[in-house]
Amino acid sequence: MMSKRVPFAPSLPRLSRPPAAALVCLGLFLLCCLLVPRFATYGNLENVLRVGAILCIVACGQAIVIILGGIEFSFGASAALASVVTVMVLPAVGPVAGLVAGAASVIGIGLVNGWLVGRMVLPPVIVTLGTLMMASGAASWLVGGLPLDAPPSAVFSWPARGRVLGVPVPILAAVLACTVLHVLLAHGRIGRLWYHVGANPLAARLAGLDAARITLLGYATAGAFCAVGAIILTSRVASGQPALAPNLPFETIAACAIGGLPLAGGRGHVLQVVFGVLIVAMLNNAVVLINLPVAWQLVLLGLAVLAAVGLQRDWAVLKRLAGRSR
Amino acid sequence: MSFSDEALVATGIAKTYGATCALRDARLTLRRGRVHALLGENGAGKSTLVKILVGAVTPDAGRVEIGGAAASLGSVPQAIRAGIVPIHQHLSLFPELSVHENLSAFALADGGLWARRRLVDAARAKAWLADVGLAVDLAAPLGSLSLGERQLVEVARALSLDCRVLVLDEPTAALNAGEAERLFTVVRRLCAAGTAALFISHRFDEIEALADDISVLRDGRTVIDAAPVGRHSRYELTHAMLGAGVEAAVPRPAHRAEPVLVGRGFGGARDGGTSITVHAGEIVGLAGLIGSGALELAAWLAGAASGAGALTIAGEPIEPGNRARAAALGIAYVPADRHAEGLFAALSARRNVSVAALGGLARFGWLRRAAEAERVDPLLRRLKLHPALPDGEATTFSGGNQQKLLIGRCLALPGLKAMVLLEPTRGVDVAARAVIHDAIRDAAASGVAVLVATSDLDELMVLAHRYLIVREGALAAELPRAAPRTVLLSALSGSLAA
Repeated sequence: MMSKRVPFAPSLPRLSRPPAAALVCLGLFLLCCLLVPRFATYGNLENVLRVGAILCIVACGQAIVIILGGIEFSFGASAALASVVTVMVLPAVGPVAGLVAGAASVIGIGLVNGWLVGRMVLPPVIVTLGTLMMASGAASWLVGGLPLDAPPSAVFSWPARGRVLGVPVPILAAVLACTVLHVLLAHGRIGRLWYHVGANPLAARLAGLDAARITLLGYATAGAFCAVGAIILTSRVASGQPALAPNLPFETIAACAIGGLPLAGGRGHVLQVVFGVLIVAMLNNAVVLINLPVAWQLVLLGLAVLAAVGLQRDWAVLKRLAGRSR
Repeated sequence: MSFSDEALVATGIAKTYGATCALRDARLTLRRGRVHALLGENGAGKSTLVKILVGAVTPDAGRVEIGGAAASLGSVPQAIRAGIVPIHQHLSLFPELSVHENLSAFALADGGLWARRRLVDAARAKAWLADVGLAVDLAAPLGSLSLGERQLVEVARALSLDCRVLVLDEPTAALNAGEAERLFTVVRRLCAAGTAALFISHRFDEIEALADDISVLRDGRTVIDAAPVGRHSRYELTHAMLGAGVEAAVPRPAHRAEPVLVGRGFGGARDGGTSITVHAGEIVGLAGLIGSGALELAAWLAGAASGAGALTIAGEPIEPGNRARAAALGIAYVPADRHAEGLFAALSARRNVSVAALGGLARFGWLRRAAEAERVDPLLRRLKLHPALPDGEATTFSGGNQQKLLIGRCLALPGLKAMVLLEPTRGVDVAARAVIHDAIRDAAASGVAVLVATSDLDELMVLAHRYLIVREGALAAELPRAAPRTVLLSALSGSLAA
């Protein structure tokens, strides 16, 4: 047979090839510097990073779920529930324990999602949509539908407004989150197992892996990332808000998709998340700076997602065609 | 035969999927008024040929003539319009709709998106049902009918078209004997009226009862072309399907040792079920034609499928279906369907192999990559992975090299005691096959118990120390290594030796 020749396999590990999103990110940055007034100022860039930080932390969690071949819709609602829980228990237990209680509720929802997807083998879209509605309803019910203000406290506002060595805490937290995610994915045994389950859940089971437990741990870890984001969000708004971040899950999915994580699962690198988040944050910032209505953020984001996913698909199609014609 | 007798003539059909060649040079001639049985083992190209005839797959080469004129079967609707009507193994009917609506499906499909939902004339629908010998209410929901009756509704629907060729792809797989006989009566009647039928089945009894001609496919080629039923014995047909022996290396004798893999009572209550024991150091060949249940039995033994019975691995009882526990006890497994059940396509070759051994390669949850490479790379070298790029993604390798990764995964399993291999070299080129066979023999020589379940007789004869023959979901015979091919073939087909 002529087709005996095996196609060329990349000998470089995935890490050493920069993700395509990096180029897009750089291009967008230069474009914004040139065209958007007041973009390239220290204050604005810090603001971009500060706003992007929360998105980045939660997107790290979303990335785990996407690598597992799933999707997480419940992040926004669970962050809202966390803010409500925090502010409600705050007078009794103090700011630190309050934030921990809020965080625990997010991780709890992650565990429920992981159990339903892993052990009960239910589709992630339905499971996380269900917990989204339940968490959102519960948060609304707990405070009677209205935001509940937290008493002012220096400790309570530190996660959102504090600085360490002059660097805002959210940015530090985002860097830490990316580092943790990278260590988990590239060096952790559990991270490796997430890739296996995401790439082929049936093969993972037949190879002797406990796919249900691996999935459960994945959703719980994703919940932990979201919990950190929820703490910073709650601290920033200093109140319990049942409608805190309704777009959070969509923005994180968008960031992952724009960064180049295939939603089919089994692949993904932390740098893809980082660049995806930076692109989303810069887009949002540029919309504000050029005085477009804020609603345009969502429109642009949607366009960017479609473009990113469309381009990835086209690349795959082109590559396959090139392989066939050989 | 006169020219007009030929309802469909396909010649020189070839089809390649990626690196695997499904059809090389297939021929098929269907004559009006005759039932033509098509036989072939898994991977012989039978399903590809059927898909080409019904328009679901476009061939790379070859020519199809219908009624003497060249036909292009670009899509299923096009093939149906040309008069080739498929009756599928998995019914293509709508259980929630009425019998009448189901019979009207083709008419509705032709109507376009905005056409009014118009049913075919009730009198005509009744006439079709009468033709297939069904007396059911047109308004009854299809779901209320038995499987056999539904199959007949599907045949009745074919009558709504100018049906020249009826393609019956394992139509009896889900039917009982009475229902099957009823279907055969209808098929015979349709053929008497001039229709040609292509009949796919693995059951010799049915083929002998229904078919007029037989063709056999092997390795994508037609090896028996339209022989009248009765010209070849069952034994000869089986032989044609499985191929003549080529390589005949004598396996090393097994030093029988302690039992490693013991399964009792598989398949439930009937005669207490099937029991099997595989000892350390031996290669047991589990042989059976498709549908015999050999693969299911092997999967069950590896803990990959649940089901009645008791499994013991090296003296430890385990619950059937608990694959994780079986792997922890040292039972490696290669599933039959490489892509769906075995390969992690998105991951690198090395990661595909190391997956089963990660426990021993991590310290406090931290994977030691150097240790991983140290453990996996020598295996890949031994299996002659080509190209020798352990970091290459699994999808970029050929089928044979992908299969080497699954074998490598077995060999990398810590505390390996037994390997259960399903069709270990299906769709694999000769070179990779030899490497895989060597690896299996070496593993057995080092004391690993090996069970190879395959429908490939050549493979069994160069590997196995003894043969277990499976028919109809149960062990039918045990044969020694010295058993000649003829005896094996007749044991497989369930007939007396020729």
